Parts: sequence; C-alpha cells; structure tokens
Amino acid sequence: MKTLRGNALSGYSWLMLVFLYLPILILVLYSFNDSRINATWTGFTWKWYVSLFENRQVMQALMNSLTIGVISSVIATVLGTAAALAVKHYSLRWSNIFNGLMYLPIVIPEIMMGLAMLVLFSQMQMELGKVTLILAHVTFSMPFVMVIISGRLADMGKDLEEASQDLGATPWETLRYVTLPLIMPGIIAGFLMAFTLSLDDFIISFFVAGPNSTTLPLYIYGLVKRGVSPEVNALSTLLIVSTVLLVVVAEIFRRKDSKNNQSIL
Amino acid sequence: MKRFKSLMIGALTAVLAVTAVGCSSSSEQEQQVLNIYSWADNFDQDVIKDFEQKFNVKVNYDVYGSNEEMLAKIQAGASGYDLIQPSDYMVGTMIQLGLLEELNKANIPNMGNIVSTFKTPPFDKENKYSLVYTWGITGIAYNKKYVKETPTSWNDLWNEAYKGRVIMLNDPREVMGMALIKNGFSNSTTKTEELEKSFADLKKVVPNVVAFDTDNIKQKMIAEEAWIGTVWSGDAAFIHAQNPDVEYVIPKEGATIWADTMAIPKGAKNKEMAEKFINYLMDPEVSVKNYESIGYSNPNEKAYPLHSEEYRSNKMVFLDTADIARAEWLVDVGETLQQYDRYWTEMKSGR
Amino acid sequence: MLNKKPVKLLALPALLWMGALFVLPMLMIAILSFLKRGTYGQVVYEFTLNNYIRIFDPLYGQIFWDTLVVAVLTTLFSILCGYPLAYYISRLEKSSQQIWLLLVMIPFWINFLVRSYAWVIILRSQGVINTFLQSLGIISEPLPLLYNSGSVLLGMVYTLMPFMVLPIYVSLEQMDRRKLEAAYDLGATPWKAFWHVTLPMTKTGVVTGSILVFVSSIGMFVVPDVMGGAKSALIGNVIQNQFLSARDWPFGSALSIVLMLLSMLLILLYFRATKASETKEGSA
Repeated sequence: MKTLRGNALSGYSWLMLVFLYLPILILVLYSFNDSRINATWTGFTWKWYVSLFENRQVMQALMNSLTIGVISSVIATVLGTAAALAVKHYSLRWSNIFNGLMYLPIVIPEIMMGLAMLVLFSQMQMELGKVTLILAHVTFSMPFVMVIISGRLADMGKDLEEASQDLGATPWETLRYVTLPLIMPGIIAGFLMAFTLSLDDFIISFFVAGPNSTTLPLYIYGLVKRGVSPEVNALSTLLIVSTVLLVVVAEIFRRKDSKNNQSIL
Repeated sequence: MKRFKSLMIGALTAVLAVTAVGCSSSSEQEQQVLNIYSWADNFDQDVIKDFEQKFNVKVNYDVYGSNEEMLAKIQAGASGYDLIQPSDYMVGTMIQLGLLEELNKANIPNMGNIVSTFKTPPFDKENKYSLVYTWGITGIAYNKKYVKETPTSWNDLWNEAYKGRVIMLNDPREVMGMALIKNGFSNSTTKTEELEKSFADLKKVVPNVVAFDTDNIKQKMIAEEAWIGTVWSGDAAFIHAQNPDVEYVIPKEGATIWADTMAIPKGAKNKEMAEKFINYLMDPEVSVKNYESIGYSNPNEKAYPLHSEEYRSNKMVFLDTADIARAEWLVDVGETLQQYDRYWTEMKSGR
Repeated sequence: MLNKKPVKLLALPALLWMGALFVLPMLMIAILSFLKRGTYGQVVYEFTLNNYIRIFDPLYGQIFWDTLVVAVLTTLFSILCGYPLAYYISRLEKSSQQIWLLLVMIPFWINFLVRSYAWVIILRSQGVINTFLQSLGIISEPLPLLYNSGSVLLGMVYTLMPFMVLPIYVSLEQMDRRKLEAAYDLGATPWKAFWHVTLPMTKTGVVTGSILVFVSSIGMFVVPDVMGGAKSALIGNVIQNQFLSARDWPFGSALSIVLMLLSMLLILLYFRATKASETKEGSA
C-alpha cells in the first residue's frame, strides 16, 4: 500500500518533469530545423550551430547575461540572507513593516520599475551599462531571496540557537555554525531563484541597459520582429545540454568520492 | 552543500576571467565608436564590417522591438546612442518633443539619391531630421488554399467563412486605421463620431480573429494557423518565399504606408560619424548589397538599375506606384490617442 | 538582548540598497501619477486627480476582476502541480534533492520567450499534439488548443512553477518527521496525517509560494499575448499599453499604484486568513 502511494507520487513528479521539459524538447528539435523561422519543419541541418559561433552579437550577449546573472545573484543572496537573519530579531511590528517593504518590489509592475530606475540613473548621470544592470537586477531579485529565507527562518524555531548560546557560543559562532547550516537549503533556493530571475529578465533590463551591454533576453526580444533565429534554439540547446552534463558529472564524481572515503574508513 | 559552493565559486571565477579577457582585448586602442539603436537584423552584417574597416570605427548595434519602447527609453534619459531608426509617425512625435538633431546635409551628399516620394514625407517635410531607410504598405495577405476568391476589400476580413482564421496586427493605430479606411475616413482621424462608427464596425470582426500579433504574424501565416489578415508588404514577401500559397493584395479602399527612417537623437556623442554612416548606406552599390540581404524595399532611386532581376520583379518589395498613391501615412493624433487606447482596451476585454 | 544588536544591524545594507534604488523611484512613480499627459505623450508638470478618476471606468473594473480570476486559478493549479513535486523532492536522499532542484530550475534558464514559442509549436492547429492525434485518426479537425483562456492558464502555471516549488520545498525539507510518525503511531490514515500534520507544518512554504505566484501572475502580459493571441485584456497588458502605445505615463503610473495597493491588500488578507486558521487549530 505504501509503495503504491510512493510510486504514484514519483510517477506524478516525473510527469511534472516531463511537463517542464516538453517545450525544451521541442526547441532542441527545432534547433536542427532548416527553416529560418520556427514555422514548419523543413529538414535537418547543423548550420545554426556553425553560424552561432560566428555570431559575435549572440556570444557577447550570452557572456553579458552570465556575468550579470552570477554577480547580481551573489550580491542579492548575501544581502537578502543578512536582512532575513536580522529581521528575525525585530519586534513583530518592525518585522511586519520591513517585510511589507520587501514585498513592494515584487508587486510593482516591471515596466514601472524599469522606467523609474532609468529616470533615477539618468538623473544621477550614471552611464548605462553592466553596472546599472547589476544594480537593477539585485534590486528586483533580493526581495525574492529574502522572502524564501524568511520563510525558512520562521519555521526553524529558536531551540537550537538558544542551545548553542547556552553552551557558550558567541552570537557569531552560533550564526556561523548553527543558523547558517540550518538555513542553507533556503539560501540555495534563494540563489537559484535570483540567478533564474536575472537570466530571464527582459523588461527592467531593457530600460537600464546601455550601448554594448545587451543581454541575451534583450537580444532575443529584439529578434522577434524578424522571427527568432534558430541560432537562439541552438544556443538554448547547448546551454541545457552543458548544464545537465555538468550536474551529472558532478554527481558521478561525488559518488566516487564518497565511495573512496568509505573504503578508507 | 560543499559541492554546490565550489561549483558556484568555480562558475564565478570562470565568468570573471572571461570578462577580464574580453575587457582587456577591447581596450587595446583608442577607436571611434558608433552606437546604433535600431530594429534587429536591420543591416547586412558585411555592410557594417566594411564600414568599420573603411572608417576605422567600432560599431555597437543594440536593438529594440517597437517605436514606443525606443521612445520611452530616450525620453527617460537614456543617452549614448548616435543613430536611431524611428518609424514615420514617431519621427513626427520626436521632432515635436525636441528629441532629434537636425541632419547636416553637407555630410550626406548621397541624400539626393532617394526616390522623390520620400523627399517630402508629411512627418518631416524637408528631410530635416530624418531620411527614409525602408518602407512598406499594410495590405491583406491570404492563403490561396483556403481563400478561394481573391480579396479586394478590407471587408473580406469580415467574411464569416474565415471565423477563427483572421490575423491582425497587435497595434491599435494600425488596426483602428484599417477600420477607419474601410469606412471611408482618414486613418488618423481625431473626430469622435468617425472613431465611434469604425469601432462599432471593428467589434464585429473580433469573432473572426484567431490572434492579434505583430511579431509572429509571419510564423502564423506560414504555418497556416491564419488564412487571411493584415500584413506588412515586407513580411508578405518573406511569407511568400516560405509558403508560396500566400499572396498579397492592397485593398481598393486604400491602406496605410509606413517607413523606418534614419535619425540622430539629441545629444548624440558622435553625430558626424552617424552622418557618415547614413551617407555610406545611401551609396547605390552599398545599398544594393544591404537591401538584397535584408529583403526590404530600397528607397534609393540610383540603386534601382543595379538590383537583381529577382529583387526587382518581386511585387511585394517593388510596390506598384498606383498603390503607393492610394496609401496614407499615419500621423500623431495627439490627445485623441487616449480614445484610441480606450477603444482598443474595450475591444479586447469585450468577451 | 544587548548581544543581539549586531545581528539586527545585518539588515542595514539591504535597507540602504532598497532605499536608494527602490524607494526613490517609487516616490517618482507616485508623483508621476498625479501629473498630466501632454499632447505628444510627454509629462506635463501640472497637478491632477484625473488619472485616478479615469480608473473608476467600469471597463477597468472588469479588467481588474478578470485579472484576479486568472491569478487565483493560476495559484491554485500551481499548488496542485508544485506541492507533490516539492514533496517528492524533499523525501529523496540529500544529494538527489539538489539534482532534482537543479533539474526543475534548468528549463527556466532558457529564455522565457523561446519557451513560450515552443508551447505554440506544440499546441497550434498544425502543431505537435494535433498532428499526432490526427495521424492516429482520433480527431478529424484540429482541436483549438491555443489562443484561449485555457492556453493562457497553462502558460502561466508553467512559467510560475518554480515560484511555488522552491518555497514549498524549503519548508518541507526542514519539517520534523517525528510528528508525522507520531501521527501514524496514533493510527492516523496517511491522508489524515497529511492533512492535519504535514500540510499545517508546511504552511509557510505554501503561503510564500502562493503570494509569489499570485502577484507575478497579476502583472503578467507576455503570456496572454503569446499564448492567448493577445485577445484578452489583463491589467498587465493595459498598463503596458499606457507606456508602449498610448504613451500616457501618468495614467500608467496611476494604474500601477492601484494595482500595487490592491495586491498588498490581498496579501494582507491572505496572511490574516492563514493566521486565523492557525489559532483555530491551536485551540482545537
């Protein structure tokens, strides 16, 4: 009975994974399509992969996106985690006010935020480019990090932290050796969310980007008018395949590692 | 967790290393820079490369997806661009808002090559601020397989036989303009009663519409999701090349003509280089190479004899002069735009 | 108490950051919503309440309502799709958990537009599903799978899935399993144990996830355009149009402010409702 339910659950989860990867499968397929636009299947070709590497613009855009994504999500995760830790110690009233403020950037329409930030940057005479992009990306992704980590902290309770303090640990030691490890899954989830948001943001980036700081979404949205080129599909395919490979390889190494360790023991 | 951390640190260092390499290689020498802000794929890559070599300049080419996006960005204070490509009515608006620099015609001797139709466009009567780069007419594209009788009038979109198969541009001015022309009015009217009548008419076509779409109208026509609809001539040429069953016609009531231009935004840092670029693009031989690669209509009269037979015989690229005469430009409607938007919103929420 | 002070200061960097880069722009938006639109779409610095009065047009009321319905449905379906998945992941071995989390997130590293177009290829009248069904002879005419409210909903749930899965997973991952075992020991059926033990203990995750999904779907406008054929007007589309076709920044700002206030109010009500049920359970 129990296994039947377990099977149903894992079946459902695999089904969800199929749902998530169904469009990905299609775009991988269409990266080998001979037609210039994704209208109909006209034949098999490698040519988009070849032309992808000759396309200076798209490679530059990819580089920009990855740089901005990694830097901004690291900053957002650090700031968001720190804030969530602090707010936990605030009185109910102050933590409510703080949380309310943090929800605002999530509820505001993106286009509004993008425009307002552009006006701000141009008032401050800042040159538009990667720096303004990173500033903006941290601003819209930090609240997401904070919300996730706050949730984790709220569920955690105070027992372990108090125990640690009772045993004579300083607040920083407690933070470092008790709290942080406990909320690590939350931090990882927050980082993943921030990175994903940054990588896929178009509207806010559109406004705060300057000459020569085109990100991948900006490049792709620019293409829609003439039809998104299969080069983009080819690029997406390479991204997916390389990330999945990376994950699998890392897992294989880890398994080997843990086996070796066991044999030594 | 350790693994995750080291993975992230690895990724971070890799990214930083690559950016560092990228930066150092680009800052080798002081080179002039031309920042273009335009539609995607609007130039032949080789034409830009040739220009870079000839004038020892680095061209940065950024893209936008609609006139209003570009306007919003320039209006909110984005500077740093030297050349932009607003469409017709947007040129008028930007002149009114004081966002464009006057062109220095002494730097653009090739300006005279442009066909006479575009020497006096209504949005910029003396080409003081802009020069037409490419142009077209919004007509009807239809698939012969499903639409047996050749359409002659906008009224054919209202035909109940095409229920759920009509496609329209996702653009209030274009679609309202079409309904206005169908009812015998100007496509840029500011009269409430004319708008009201055309809007009531437009509402009746909504059940026929499969989708409103500007960006993917080509895919929808090629994949035969849509049988008939309002399509730009340049797009129609593209669709026809991919699906020969799709034909293009300009209805008898008339239609809307549009153009993308070349213009220089206020405060451009490298105005002179932008003018050199405009002049370069207007060179007949360069323009032949450029337009045959991007597949749009060339306004350069001197270049016409140099074009290939294939390009010249394409009726969707080389439009009929009689059709051009019947076509009307969209002009800025000022405050009435709020009414257009209200009608548009009402039509879309109307079910 | 004293030694907790430095911890409290940890919020300072985030606070300063948001103050400079968010509160300031927000104030500008608030001011903008009381100004006038000029003839050519420029902003005229004259005070007016007209932008807010215009919102009372029943047309916009109806659009707000439609948007709300779509957002609620999206949230419900996201919970239905996301909760079991998060539950499954949290039951796996620690190392497999991370793999699954990455697997769930990776599709979202592919550009949103590219993914949406892939859905169009799957669902359109000559698309993957229709061709497949027709070749099997199950249907003779293609099914209208695209450009309706169903496809909009599908697109929204798909797009917002990670917003639901991640918070619920974070919550489930640290759940005290002993309580569940205790419930089983007391003879609770699995369903009862889930309903009375697991679900209440992961409420924070569900609440966080719902808010993220709900709020994001309220402002969504690309999905209705690409997968709905731009045939419906949701509030996100109307706001977008104020900037990208009507060129009416003040009205767009006013709509945004109202939308924000409404969302905050709903979040507050939602918090109250979930808190209330908590105290009831506590007393029971």
